[in-house]
Amino acid sequence: MLFHTWPFLVFMLIVLPVFYSLRHTRWWIPWLMAASYFFYGWWNPYYLLLVFYSTVLDFFLVALMDQCPSEGKKVDDAVLKRAFLASTAAAVVILAVACLGPPTLRPSMVGLALIFLLMAWGAFKGNRRIWLLISLVNNLALLLFFKYGHFAVENLNALFVWLHAAWKLPEPSTLMPFGFPYVLPVGISFFTFQSLSYTIDFYFGNVERERNFLRFATFVCFFPQLMAGPIERARQLLPQLREFPPIRLQNFTDGLSLFLVGLFKKLAVANYLAFYVERVYDNPKAFGAPALMLATFAFAWQIFFDFSGYTDMARGVARLLGFNLILNFNNPYLATGLGDFWTRWHISLSTWFRDYVYIPLGGNQRGVFNTYRNLLFTFLLSGLWHGAAWTFLIWGALHALGVMATRELERSTFYRDQVPRLLKQLGVFAFVCFAWVFFRAESLDDARLIVRRIFTAVWSDPQIPALMLGLVALIWLYQFMYESKYRGILQAGFVRVGLAVFMVLYLFLFSAGGGAFIYFQF
Amino acid sequence: MDKPLSSAIGEIKIVNEVRLNVRQWALALGFILLVVLLTPRFWKGVERFDTGPDYRIPYDLSKDYWLYQRRMEDKVDPHSIVMLGDSVIWGEYVLPDGTWSHFLNEQTGQVAKFVNGGVNGLFPLALEGLVDYYGRSLRNRKVILHFNLLWLSSPKADLRVDKEENFNHTRLVPQFFPRIPCYKADANTRLGILWERKVDFCAWVNHLQDAYFGQKSILNWTLEDDGGDPPRYPNSYKNPLAQITFRVPGAPRDDPQRGSKSPRHKPWSASGAATQFEWVDLDGSLQWGAFRRVLQTLRERGDDVFVILGPFNEHMVAEESRAPYRKLRDGITAWLKENKLPHLAPGTLPSQLYADASHPLTEGYALLARQLLESKDFQRWLLQR
Repeated sequence: MLFHTWPFLVFMLIVLPVFYSLRHTRWWIPWLMAASYFFYGWWNPYYLLLVFYSTVLDFFLVALMDQCPSEGKKVDDAVLKRAFLASTAAAVVILAVACLGPPTLRPSMVGLALIFLLMAWGAFKGNRRIWLLISLVNNLALLLFFKYGHFAVENLNALFVWLHAAWKLPEPSTLMPFGFPYVLPVGISFFTFQSLSYTIDFYFGNVERERNFLRFATFVCFFPQLMAGPIERARQLLPQLREFPPIRLQNFTDGLSLFLVGLFKKLAVANYLAFYVERVYDNPKAFGAPALMLATFAFAWQIFFDFSGYTDMARGVARLLGFNLILNFNNPYLATGLGDFWTRWHISLSTWFRDYVYIPLGGNQRGVFNTYRNLLFTFLLSGLWHGAAWTFLIWGALHALGVMATRELERSTFYRDQVPRLLKQLGVFAFVCFAWVFFRAESLDDARLIVRRIFTAVWSDPQIPALMLGLVALIWLYQFMYESKYRGILQAGFVRVGLAVFMVLYLFLFSAGGGAFIYFQF
Repeated sequence: MDKPLSSAIGEIKIVNEVRLNVRQWALALGFILLVVLLTPRFWKGVERFDTGPDYRIPYDLSKDYWLYQRRMEDKVDPHSIVMLGDSVIWGEYVLPDGTWSHFLNEQTGQVAKFVNGGVNGLFPLALEGLVDYYGRSLRNRKVILHFNLLWLSSPKADLRVDKEENFNHTRLVPQFFPRIPCYKADANTRLGILWERKVDFCAWVNHLQDAYFGQKSILNWTLEDDGGDPPRYPNSYKNPLAQITFRVPGAPRDDPQRGSKSPRHKPWSASGAATQFEWVDLDGSLQWGAFRRVLQTLRERGDDVFVILGPFNEHMVAEESRAPYRKLRDGITAWLKENKLPHLAPGTLPSQLYADASHPLTEGYALLARQLLESKDFQRWLLQR
């Protein structure tokens, strides 16, 4: 169910009034959870099993972690003994099913038994680090299997052939139980990261244990941000779910404002740009340098409008329910440095990687070499998070190299004070566009071809619609004004009303048809 | 322990200024409502729409239901007789001066007594939608309703097969009930169509697209290619607003696809042979059910309806499927009689006057008009009120 479709409107027309009518009861959380599960199950009910499994496991892992010694706490032996017995028994039963049951169940049952054995080990040792390890292994295994399984098997098998080894790994699809299709569950990268952040934060004492399972399940699958973020932290969203949110008229006006802007970004701009980008990127050989450059420029805006449009709508929907989701995009194409860009682009993901990868690796505290190593590793991981392909890895590497190369420059007084702001912004935008070539190209060969042709191909008419260029130019101009001394003009009531009217009428008149969001594939 | 961020339930950070308060939203919605309600009405005043005798909705605008509605509301004399139906009424193989309505006018010495209200490909399930949502002005008037037996000639034509089929006028067919098994649009498309039927402004936007942008959305029009290899994109630098000429396009003056000079205008026997038809049973037919509902709607609106059945090209029906065909035709006639509906089932025309299973050629229409005018039931119906 996409935000910009009619079924979602019907869904909201049911969910919202019922949610508010339950405000004096304790049923509002179950209702929100049921709505979220329905929303997710609309895609494919089979996906629900994964979300539920991940939720249950992390909920119990944190509950068990809570029983283990940490500062000022004692081991609760009775609970851990019961956990040991239950986990061992579950592992034995599951192994029995694996041995006696149908062969198609074996791989998943063995994996599950391994998780339970680890749990038994954790209970036996009474060590909270093992619970954290299980959560990490479980969530990352799900992600690796569904998202990277095919890529890893394909590359490893190619390596075995190259080494003349007689091994061949089975295709991940053959490991699926009950003949379920091997398809990437929408939003898996988002809900696993969200759930993981809870266990990690609890381990480090940054968040309290959530004792209400339904509340925790709602946190993991909260429908506005389930499919493509923003990736919420437990300490940001869980407290909001503890009490019914205050009912304020501003929730509705802000929610509607955010939703309208998101809808406009997606339907009027992103989907429109997509047509030109597809035309050129699907057949790069047929186009000259200007078309390839403009298509790359168009893709930079397409992905921004697509993803930030989705986020705006997600935040708008959450706001209508009274909740606050974090800001995910802060006009990133106005960034004056690559470091600045990453504080403005997909903020919830970049801060996730900063807090759970870059800083635990040592961040910038252990010398220049280690800082650069940590940056490279974090960016490569961030590239891989987007998909299992070499093009994403190169995209991550390019950003890592860019940030490393400009880190010192951006800190210098000369860059800060002497280089004109617009020049810095255009420079960052040009670099980001260059990296997008690798992100968008169908293959590494295509990416190389596009880059080569941008510099060597003939100059021919790019045939990009003038309306498209004009639209992007106007929005860019708006963003420039927003961050300038002329912002006051945009704050005038008649400008706000005029823009809202313009966007609604534009959507009526010019809508380019609906497509799925780009980030759903991640 | 818990460290709620500053943004937790409080002010939400928005990085643009499109953040309206209640008063501003009320103002914006009021203005939008005004534009949405008034634009289609205002448009009728500024856009030139030439109709005249023998006018029929141009083939390219067959799906411009807003234009159809406008025509019925503003361009059709309330005392004229509207002929409703599919391409048999519209005149698939003939020019405007070769249609059934043209010959009825000609043979009665009138100019525009009989109005061609046919639409290409308008099967009864779609006709129902057209009458319900875009033909609200069809009330308290004389209407000739045509039923083409072609729509009962197979389960596929009756739209009752389970396999997905692409057919015309999906925006007119029932979206949820009764269920059309071969119509597999997703819930979003269906709900969008229901919205469009209720909001005149949306139908007007479709009119703009159909009339000025080659049945494409305006954005898609700017990306249109010329079909060449390599393709060119002639509209890239054009101003879309300049396309709007404020004049509804008419049908081509010398349509090469239609009329006696067209290569298509020839008897069916030149290229066809007798065919086995899998006639459907009347009771379970979706199309017949829709046709009955159309009749009911029109009668409830005070319309005086005369039904014409066929004439189907019986020469094309293989010997084995003639008996079920006749049974079906007789069943319909019996139902019309039972419900006291004036009707005529004209006899089969000579073979050479058919272009295919159901469409007559120009001479066929002339003959049909004569048959109709000679029918006592029709004469009686004409003189009523």
